[in-house]
Amino acid sequence: MGAAPASRDVTSYGMGLAAPLALFFLIFFVAPLLQLLWLSLHNDTAGLHWGLGQYLHFLTDPFSLSVLGSTLLLGAEVTAVCLALGFPIAWLYQRVGPKLQTIIILIVLLPLLTSVVVRTFAWIVILGRQGIINATLQSLGIIDTPLKLLYTQFGVVIALAQVQMPLMTLPLITALGRIDPNLDDASCSLGAGSWRTFFRIVLPLSLPGVIAGCTLTYAAAITAFITQSLIGGGQMLFMPMYLYQQASTLQNWPFASAISIIFLLAVLAVVSVFTTLGRLSRGYGGA
Amino acid sequence: MIMNRRSLMTTALTLGAMKAFPGLSFAQARPLVFATFTGSWEEAHKAVLVPAFRKANADAAIVLDPMLSVDQIAKVNAAKANPPIDVMLHDPGPALVAIGQDLVEPYPVEKSAYYKDLISEAQEPTGPAPFFQVVGLTYNPEAIKTPPTSWADLWKPEFKGRVGITNLNSTLGTGWLVEIAKMRGGSEANVDPAFKALEELKPNLAAVAANPGALATLFQQGQIDISPGNFNAIQILKARGVPVEFVAPKEGAIAFKTTIHIVKNSPNRELAFKLIEAALTAEVQTTLMKPPYLIVPTNSKVAMSGEIARVLAKDTAELKQKFVFQDWKKINEQRSAWIERFNREIKI
Repeated sequence: MGAAPASRDVTSYGMGLAAPLALFFLIFFVAPLLQLLWLSLHNDTAGLHWGLGQYLHFLTDPFSLSVLGSTLLLGAEVTAVCLALGFPIAWLYQRVGPKLQTIIILIVLLPLLTSVVVRTFAWIVILGRQGIINATLQSLGIIDTPLKLLYTQFGVVIALAQVQMPLMTLPLITALGRIDPNLDDASCSLGAGSWRTFFRIVLPLSLPGVIAGCTLTYAAAITAFITQSLIGGGQMLFMPMYLYQQASTLQNWPFASAISIIFLLAVLAVVSVFTTLGRLSRGYGGA
Repeated sequence: MIMNRRSLMTTALTLGAMKAFPGLSFAQARPLVFATFTGSWEEAHKAVLVPAFRKANADAAIVLDPMLSVDQIAKVNAAKANPPIDVMLHDPGPALVAIGQDLVEPYPVEKSAYYKDLISEAQEPTGPAPFFQVVGLTYNPEAIKTPPTSWADLWKPEFKGRVGITNLNSTLGTGWLVEIAKMRGGSEANVDPAFKALEELKPNLAAVAANPGALATLFQQGQIDISPGNFNAIQILKARGVPVEFVAPKEGAIAFKTTIHIVKNSPNRELAFKLIEAALTAEVQTTLMKPPYLIVPTNSKVAMSGEIARVLAKDTAELKQKFVFQDWKKINEQRSAWIERFNREIKI
């Protein structure tokens, strides 16, 4: 052993402990990402000629832009559905006894315990022509011919909302749990109705949870390759499938890389909007 | 050398790494690696081809590493000088990509004992075809009482909202589009007629699946009653009790050559050759033709039997007459443009 310990800076330990993870990220995340960027800056599939051709191709092509747009829109729809359905569950969780709380948590977590593929196949069974929804509606005499639910935008949104629901509900439960219940009572005793209390007290204070939930749900929904392709089918093109098509079927890696970089930036933009809102809401919550 | 904590750590890590990645130190002495396809292909090869190969070659070590064609190409490309795979298996499209990127060793035809027994379409000097994949019409016999006979039947008004197809990501989807083009006066170089025909097919389309596997699910769920389908995929569904039947249309069933290749710079070239030889033998192909595998043979000495003789062809002569082979060199030239066009135009 050398004489090092005597002169060692105490703070260097912290960095040392983080090193393995940092190294892991550097090798398996940053390096491939840089390679992706490098590849996307080439005009030919062999990667010999530098240029911005791939980006120009994507950004001047109305079809590619519409794929990006519809993917971002899909994320927004799924997030809205998750928020609308998840908030009441989280709110309910804070107002029931411990037994019911366990049941709610179990129900919320249950989807996470099965694989996405299994959950998605369940939705094929539910939404199909002879599926549960169509069979029920037909036996009740509400419809004559089966509705087309599978391979529609509606189907994709509903299935994704269920698949990603825990990502919304869990942060909401945590956020709502942090709100002092006395604030509700105080608001009521000062003459506010329940709606007013909700919009002026509960909602603002739960905003950090709402934003965390929205970010997670959004990011998961737009990148959900399996659910998108199994429920949406081959004619509904979203970014992950577009990427796969270019990389896997056509071996056009530079264009696929450019698509991923653009997709990455678009998602980062949306997420940073969420984070900015989060920062604003912290100020609001503290006021 | 003074033994301190750091040098001890380094030694331990190195030893650990050598244990975890034996390829680091013994790159030359690895077993033969055969990249087959996943799923039923892997099962068939593990059960039939590998034992036959090992029996003929003094129990030589072999590893099956199942992966998609595109991954095989990527892996070999990443280490051209010392490829991690010795034998590749490819559909016609990817095979041409691999050959084009100079990843494939020419097959030593003059050394081969079985190459000349293959039917002429399967004889490829870049890598022979030990199996065919066949695409025809798939239908649900419970919903469709008169079996379809032609690709044109998909356009019949009675199948309104009952037809399924796949997009062009798959070999099946692209091959089918070309066949439709041919039916309407087009060719591998001109698929305009097929896109026009697709436009007319829209009222009948219930689903455009993202891959051929998804079509199977759609049959199971009653979402579709008729579609183009892969003979082998249908047999798997049938065996599971799903009501589906396969029929070769009168225009001819589309046959894809699944070709097998020796990877360029493979350290196990000789064994790779031996494995491919085993795949070409009449014995292996006869076993693979029987249930549950039902893989269409390419060796003309194999006597057709069972389901394949019933729905496809009784002998090589009939097979040649009933199968349609496509020019994938031509198809690959324009495939990306077609995929783009399909993306844009086919919205239902």
